[in-house]
Amino acid sequence: MNKFILSKKLYRNELATFYSFLIGFLIALAVGSLILFIQEKNPFDVFSLMLKLSIGSVNSLSNSLNKAIPLILAGLGISIINSVKLWNIGAEGQIFMGAIALNFVYINTSINNSQIYIFLLLVSGFLGGAFCILFPAVAKVLFGVNEIITTLLTNYIVFGLTIYLINGAWKDPASLNFPAAAYVSESVYLPTVIGKLSSGFLICILFTLIAYYIKDKSVFGYEMRIAGGSALTAIYAGINAKQKAFFAMLIGGGFAGLAGAIELLSQTHRVSTGISQGFGYTAIIVAAITGMRPVGIFLVGCLFGALTIGGSVIQTIGVSSYIAEIIQATTLFGALIAQFFFSYEILKKSEND
Amino acid sequence: MSSPILEVKNVSKTFGNVKALDSVDFSLQKGIIHGLLGENGAGKSSLMNVLSGIYLPESGTIEIKNQKIQKLNPDIASSLGVGMVHQEFRLIESFTIKDNLTLSKANIFSENFDEAYKKYSEIFSLNSNFLTPINELSVGEKQKVEIMKLIFKNSEIMLLDEPTAVLTPQETLQLKESLDKLSQEDQKTIVLITHKLKEIKDFTERIFVMKNGKMVAKNLETKKVTDKELIELMMGEVKTSNFNKDNKKGGVKLKVEDISLTNEEQLKSLDDISFSIQSGEILGVAGVSGNGQVELANVICGIEKEFQGRVLINSQDVSKKGVKSRKKLSLSYIPENRLGVGLAPGVSVLDNSAIKEYFKASYGPHLSKGKMLGYLNDLIKQFAIKAPDVKAEISTLSGGNMQKLLMGRELISNPEVIVAAQPTRGLDVSAVEAIHKLIINQRDKGSAVLLISEDLDELFKLSDRIIVLYEGKIVKEVDINSATIETIGFAMAGINE
Ligand SMILES: Nc1ncnc2c1ncn2[C@@H]1O[C@H](COP(=O)(O)OP(=O)(O)O)[C@@H](O)[C@H]1O
Ligand SMILES: [Mg+2]
Repeated sequence: MNKFILSKKLYRNELATFYSFLIGFLIALAVGSLILFIQEKNPFDVFSLMLKLSIGSVNSLSNSLNKAIPLILAGLGISIINSVKLWNIGAEGQIFMGAIALNFVYINTSINNSQIYIFLLLVSGFLGGAFCILFPAVAKVLFGVNEIITTLLTNYIVFGLTIYLINGAWKDPASLNFPAAAYVSESVYLPTVIGKLSSGFLICILFTLIAYYIKDKSVFGYEMRIAGGSALTAIYAGINAKQKAFFAMLIGGGFAGLAGAIELLSQTHRVSTGISQGFGYTAIIVAAITGMRPVGIFLVGCLFGALTIGGSVIQTIGVSSYIAEIIQATTLFGALIAQFFFSYEILKKSEND
Repeated sequence: MSSPILEVKNVSKTFGNVKALDSVDFSLQKGIIHGLLGENGAGKSSLMNVLSGIYLPESGTIEIKNQKIQKLNPDIASSLGVGMVHQEFRLIESFTIKDNLTLSKANIFSENFDEAYKKYSEIFSLNSNFLTPINELSVGEKQKVEIMKLIFKNSEIMLLDEPTAVLTPQETLQLKESLDKLSQEDQKTIVLITHKLKEIKDFTERIFVMKNGKMVAKNLETKKVTDKELIELMMGEVKTSNFNKDNKKGGVKLKVEDISLTNEEQLKSLDDISFSIQSGEILGVAGVSGNGQVELANVICGIEKEFQGRVLINSQDVSKKGVKSRKKLSLSYIPENRLGVGLAPGVSVLDNSAIKEYFKASYGPHLSKGKMLGYLNDLIKQFAIKAPDVKAEISTLSGGNMQKLLMGRELISNPEVIVAAQPTRGLDVSAVEAIHKLIINQRDKGSAVLLISEDLDELFKLSDRIIVLYEGKIVKEVDINSATIETIGFAMAGINE
């Protein structure tokens, strides 16, 4: 009698992650088509309209890339933290915290040179994100508390804090019944580069390179990889694994905080619940699909930005925007299943073994 | 003599290319305590796993209570009254003693549990309420519960795999009394596996000895056999060395003074260890595993920090220094646990090749991949490592090549002090030979080597001097010229001549 067993492949195709993504995306398109078909819409028409309205013109393309910025930055943060094999589920909260920290600094300072001011505000956003993950990081390093739980919980805390601030201390009387903080002055808006494309996208490119450098080219990245591979090897090598985990978490949180700051300075211009529409969660999908590779995160982030824009515009022809989210989530699902088949093989085994 | 309650003939079992059991015969008499002796890896646990139906042998016959069993499995074994206590605990930590004892469907004391618990906890001197969860028990108490589990599921044949390894001397004495009672009053048939000669002689009536998967002695009468005979059976003949000895170049490279270490259970895992090694000298450390070897290596290499005493490298006191600064003072450590400590699983061959001196490939925060690759290529050439893809995970290498990479990484910088723990364990003959040459080569270059090994052949072949660790103490120190297999064997088994 033969038994079948799963065995991990020793050699994985370098491009396995890319192929998995493609397969996942195709599956997602098929699932999306099926749903559209059930709703008696022609999938081909809907998808081509989505395509046209998301990348068909300078304007729509810049909308898509603007949407990609928070996905990419938060995704990069998640991938840095994952270098030590930890999961950051708290990017959503860190995005909000970045915006809150920015507004706090904005309210309490005033600098005439707007470039310096913008820089200072972006830095506060980064620090806000780092601050947000400080407690999960301390709990992890000192007491070994599971970071998945603690980072998830901070999302609720920060969201509560946001609601509190925009209904209370920071509520802008001018916004009447809509809870939001006051707008920041136009002098600190992030300038656009082409069309509506925010210069935040350039920052995003820069941080993609930084993340790539940290992970792949730096001593810190190397030490994170070893610490993530085996805690005992880290001790043996004289690498302080806890310290690496701590700093990886703060940096990763900072990336997400920066996303919140850019979102505020380029899109919403004030603290409100609209700072993030689940970007921090979608970023987890983006990071996971790409196997935590910064350049992949950048590309998939752009695609998902376009999907989101495409999804929101097809509402005009009576199709729910959720079709975009379904495609995003199904892509991850399909890609993970495909990755499984790329990394495992099924072997026959005789019963005696 | 009455017919045996359990008899196996010609049983063989292979794992990959390891013959764990090689045509083994074994038999047990009812109501008697049997000893099974043998070095690590001799096949003792494998034999017990066959008897309890966990491993299915490739060939051979098994007869239990005069019944020939075709395909023994754990269910059948258990219904025929065969029960085993594994080397590692198999208790459910968060469950109570009672839950663990009654978990088996073969449980016979469901009606009168309280009464039975009272009786057997007295026999085992277990002074805990049966509602205590397992994780509140000491190691010794857990061991008692493990053995009681067999009684509660009505095992007549009790296979105990190294139960005393985790016990204190007092607890061992208690265990002996309880086992005596069980065999005399309840007519239990017991197999006790241990490394310790003294225990085998104290506990048992009959002795079996295994070596390299073979049963080399059967049913010896404990009263009639001498320690010397047992040691010879267990260790076999030692091949004499074919390397020159005495390359000592003078100049003490490594010195440890009065090292003591207390573990979490407040027991001394190292007790007042002192020695020194000269340039060009190999000091072998013999001992059954778990007698302080890992701790000693960790103290010397800076991984274990809470110890008493001093470590000196080249006359410099490094007791307070960390791992990295000791490496910079030219210390290399080849740990016993290859994949998991010496090498990081899931990480590439390239990254693993740089663990010792990655800081040399760095410029400030920048790490030069080019330098790392150059260094790895040197390693691959110089140590003849077969690594098809250096970007692939480390586990793509064979065991021998992993060890060569690890050794090469630690030796290429020509370190002055080398600590090598079980450097050839699990490797095939040609890889063993290659590793031995590397060590000798390094000795000839003037390194001082501390070689920790359970393989006496290896120790005799390579060492200039041998010390024996037993329960954290150096119980013997001999020059290789006057060392004999008996003196080392006695010391390893904890016997003072
Ligand atoms: N499940 C297994 N898979 C692979 N090899 C095994 C397994 N169990 C035992 N071995 C090998 O069989 C040999 C005998 O091991 P074991 O029976 O555990 O020895 P002992 O208990 O005498 O120390 C060793 O070389 C060991 O590596
Ligand atoms: Mg064993």
